[in-house]
Amino acid sequence: MLGGILAAASLLLVAPDAYAQVESGSWKTWSPGYNVQQVGCGSVSGSTFKLTCSNSSGEQRAERRYDTYSGGTHQFEGYFKINSMGGSRISLKQTFGSGPFFLLAVESGGRMYSVEGGATISGGATVGTTVRVNTVNQVGSTHRTYINGSLKNTVNSPSGSYYDKLGAYRTASGQGPISVTWSNIRFWTK
Amino acid sequence: MKRALVLCCAAVGAALTACSAAAQPVAGTTLAATMTSPVDIRLDWTGTDPAAAGRIVEFATAPDGPWTTLQFMPVRQDSYTHPDLMPQTSFYYRLRPYYGPASDAVDVTVPGGSAGNDDKDWPAPATLPGGPAVTHSVRDGTPAGAPSGLKAKVLQSNGIQFTWTDNASDEEGYLVEDKPAGAADYKVVAVLDKDINSFALITLPDEDKASYRVRAFYYGPSSNVVTRKTGGQ
Repeated sequence: MLGGILAAASLLLVAPDAYAQVESGSWKTWSPGYNVQQVGCGSVSGSTFKLTCSNSSGEQRAERRYDTYSGGTHQFEGYFKINSMGGSRISLKQTFGSGPFFLLAVESGGRMYSVEGGATISGGATVGTTVRVNTVNQVGSTHRTYINGSLKNTVNSPSGSYYDKLGAYRTASGQGPISVTWSNIRFWTK
Repeated sequence: MKRALVLCCAAVGAALTACSAAAQPVAGTTLAATMTSPVDIRLDWTGTDPAAAGRIVEFATAPDGPWTTLQFMPVRQDSYTHPDLMPQTSFYYRLRPYYGPASDAVDVTVPGGSAGNDDKDWPAPATLPGGPAVTHSVRDGTPAGAPSGLKAKVLQSNGIQFTWTDNASDEEGYLVEDKPAGAADYKVVAVLDKDINSFALITLPDEDKASYRVRAFYYGPSSNVVTRKTGGQ
């Protein structure tokens, strides 16, 4: 009896990895490596990324740059929480191709927008509120962005190589300071 | 069988939030989910809790989370639509009430202007020293644990620093709420950790004149958990 209960509990404990990815298909867990980039007043401590200055010029970034992939379909999932924000227009998650491809940024007050074109993606990224981000890049087809489970952005995804970045990056029209913490970062591919 | 279920919950522990949530739903609150299209889910619920300050609706794509808050809602709200969902994915939902006393309100007017900080020393959320010698539970329905002495200092064209006295002994955190001039209700504009009593906020253009208050809060037990799987491509 006890063995059966423990077995059931074990299944429950390992179950999330089995079906945590979204959309259908035979997803496989992927664990890309990354390097940490700290430029200007950017600083990284674990999974907390800070811009400590309010400079409105120069390169200010604190980011993780994950490994490059080519072809296939790649899914990113992560949760960010803004701890403090005195600035505005800071990019928190990026998918890079041959150059900036899809950049998700946040303004003071919690509006999330696409840096390319400025279209509003969602609200709700207020200080202390956890936001879930899923991106699915079907290389050669489309790149889809889900915020808190809802599809908020779809763009064409040309063939080529891509990589994910996350953290805090001052956009051309932005300025810090900001402190943001990412959690539960996972990747899948098919 | 009941004994086995209890053992199951004990073995899985705190990670299996849905298990404990199902064991202790909010009395009188029943949550239901309806697919209104292959990728749209509408939530409806019955039951009210006059003692609650509000409720949150949360979702996850696995039964044990992680759970993400979709919205802070007034107690009187009784439905929520989660639109344009990820296809071919299981969605789990639950409601949780939150309780706790709020401070007196303060009215603040800022000069307004473009967003952004021109202060190099923007204050991060902090616990200021010198709190009261005696604190009070926020779970007994009395206002004794409410934040007191709320002060607002305009830092810049659209930035305000709030400070208050933390009188609570067992809060889960603090909610900063505002009601812009002309608005009907307060809304949550920031969620802070427990013991914080200093926080700075950048305001939006429609918040140049607004009323602010701070609430020491804690979450109540979850409703029943409902699940639906989306269709779509």
